[in-house]
Amino acid sequence: METIDISRLKSGEVNLGTSIMAVQFKNGVVVGADSRTTTGSYIANRVTDKLTHVHDRIYCCRSGSAADTQAIADLVHYHLQLHTQMSGSPPPVHTAATIFQKFCYDNKDALSAGIIVAGWDKEVGPSVYNIPLGGGLFKQPWAIGGSGSTYVYGYCDATYKEGWDRDQTVEFVKNTLALAMSRDGSSGGVIRMCVITEDGVERLFVPGDQLPKFWQGKEVLGSDTKSADLASAVAMAVDA
Amino acid sequence: MEEALEQPQLRVFLHPLLHPALLPVSYPRDIRPTWSSIMEYNGGSVIAMVGKDCVAIASDLRLGNQALGISSNFTKIFPMTNRIFLGLPGLATDVTTLKETFRYRVNMYTIKEEREIEPETFAHLVSSTLYERRFGPYFIEPVMAGLQKAADGSLKPYIAATDLIGCLNFAKDFVVAGTASSKLFGVAEGLWEPDLGPEDLFETISQTLLNAVDRDAYSGWGAEVYVLTKDKVIKRTLKGRMD
Amino acid sequence: MAAASVYSGAGFDFTNEVRNTFLTDRGIPLPKATSTGTTIVGCLFKDGIILGADTRATEGPIVADKNCEKIHYITDNIRCCGAGTAADTEFTTALISSNMELHALSTGRKPRVVTAMTMLKQMLFRYQGHIGAALVLGGVDTTGPQLFTIHPHGSTDKLPYVTMGSGSLAAMAIFEAKWRPNMERAEALDLVCAAISAGIFNDLGSGSNVDACVITASHTEMLRNFVKPNERAVKERSYQFRRGTTEYKKEEIRSLVVEEDVTYISAARGAEGEAMDTS
Repeated sequence: METIDISRLKSGEVNLGTSIMAVQFKNGVVVGADSRTTTGSYIANRVTDKLTHVHDRIYCCRSGSAADTQAIADLVHYHLQLHTQMSGSPPPVHTAATIFQKFCYDNKDALSAGIIVAGWDKEVGPSVYNIPLGGGLFKQPWAIGGSGSTYVYGYCDATYKEGWDRDQTVEFVKNTLALAMSRDGSSGGVIRMCVITEDGVERLFVPGDQLPKFWQGKEVLGSDTKSADLASAVAMAVDA
Repeated sequence: MEEALEQPQLRVFLHPLLHPALLPVSYPRDIRPTWSSIMEYNGGSVIAMVGKDCVAIASDLRLGNQALGISSNFTKIFPMTNRIFLGLPGLATDVTTLKETFRYRVNMYTIKEEREIEPETFAHLVSSTLYERRFGPYFIEPVMAGLQKAADGSLKPYIAATDLIGCLNFAKDFVVAGTASSKLFGVAEGLWEPDLGPEDLFETISQTLLNAVDRDAYSGWGAEVYVLTKDKVIKRTLKGRMD
Repeated sequence: MAAASVYSGAGFDFTNEVRNTFLTDRGIPLPKATSTGTTIVGCLFKDGIILGADTRATEGPIVADKNCEKIHYITDNIRCCGAGTAADTEFTTALISSNMELHALSTGRKPRVVTAMTMLKQMLFRYQGHIGAALVLGGVDTTGPQLFTIHPHGSTDKLPYVTMGSGSLAAMAIFEAKWRPNMERAEALDLVCAAISAGIFNDLGSGSNVDACVITASHTEMLRNFVKPNERAVKERSYQFRRGTTEYKKEEIRSLVVEEDVTYISAARGAEGEAMDTS
């Protein structure tokens, strides 16, 4: 499990106290992230794009220090372009993830970067790799990361099922991120998502005022409709 | 960015009976140095002012070892060319080092360019020399005064100062540096006015320096003033308080 | 090693490091460098970018410069506002400006804002935050108007309106309330002035005048001291001293006038003058 150790950030450094996520499904992967960037308690950017393009069908989700993860992503982007020119074909996701992992592991003492690499390639189809703080490399069917992820591990374990289609996966990512953002003070803003398949990359955007809503204390505060009580008693009823 | 709030500095009377060795044992022996920064180790202050077709630069003459006065003729102003004077307040060892460094670099410039360096060029030379040591600076805040050749051949007053890592500050009125800088700022802000002739500028800069320095424990012990005009350089050694 | 000439080698010199570390280890803090506890902003408008800055430089609690320039030249179509350690913003922008000129010369293309942004972020990242430059970079190039913020550690953000420095919160409050897409030039300039003024009047680290810079596809207009809301009142009295107020012990006057006495060796030659040998 990875959490971002705030004390490892140098003072005044820009932090992606983040909720990020990637989930694979039959034809591709869905990656998603919140949009908050903070310096201390100040939100330096409320519409950040933490889903970073590193190749045509490979994206990464960045968490930790903004400077470190941008530098790594730029470097990997360069290496993948070079790889494509030399080999004549687009790189597999595993290759991209390995390059990320090399930088993260070799410079583990100087970096605070938690990265999820996800994408599609013709060799194995969709794949998701998690590279947490120390520079490990783990292939997973789904991965969550950043400070907000700690709040939603249980939800993901309870909800995730194999064999979902695109729309179900998008819904899962959207709901997970909304839950993480609502509990984590360093996450928030809007939800950005990318659906990466063989055919292309589709960008999805959920504005901050249209996030999925969950139980928000109706029993305590009293609600308009009595009949809603029964429905809300069901664990994690989702009204998206 | 965030700093711990400093305790207000207590006033210290430098009386021999207050010497730590003579105090009761219960008194804390670990007395913090009365100087909070390396700039206060030797003390000293410099000021430069613009006048009408003239400039003036002045400094005190004290060299100290913290509160102990060592010398009353430690000059901090050095001629770089006929028309550029450089004041170097700060750590005395660096005053000597930088004086030589700039003498060397100005000589090299003169040889390579086959002309005398202009004040503005010299200011940038000072600035880059200090920034080169951004991560291990000299403890000096240079002040420059000179007369710059304009396109029409006339001489324009030019003053500048930098911080210890070479950030240039060109001012139209006056620049100050050293341990009495905060006092100098205040007095100069009140006394300076535009278009002072050489003699009036001398009075204004002298009184500014003398009165500011009298409120600074680390500066004083006499002063010297240079007034540069188009045809001469006047150097005067002032009578000041010796306490 | 000290440089061997006025044209010194590249890079920083660390020879004083050992001495200075020794002093700091003994509890003597390094003196404060001039910092621009600043308000700097930038925003997108219909035809391009407007950058804004206040003009105060501080050294701890002292105002070191009441009218400094914080909008730095990068290229004709790109400018950069700097906050943080004043010397760092000055030298970093100067270095990137010169590298951009060389880059434009070697590629034969008009320089792009992303190029400057990449050079800046890579340099600042290399120095791991030790170069304390917080920048707002703006300009118009072939890809249209571009606006970035660059933090001292080397992270960048691309946004339609940005603020930085100690007055950034005050300035951002103005932008969040009043910025709209596709504003007219005059409207946007007023907004930038309002944002900087918010910093000048509400943030202690910012003060004096408003500098602005309007960059469009066709030209760049630098509006130095666009608004001066803090002009010093004219002194009602002269504080000149009577001549002779200051006692002095010694006076040395050095004349800079070179006097020459010309003595002619022969009276005949002197009268006629010697014809120059032009053969």
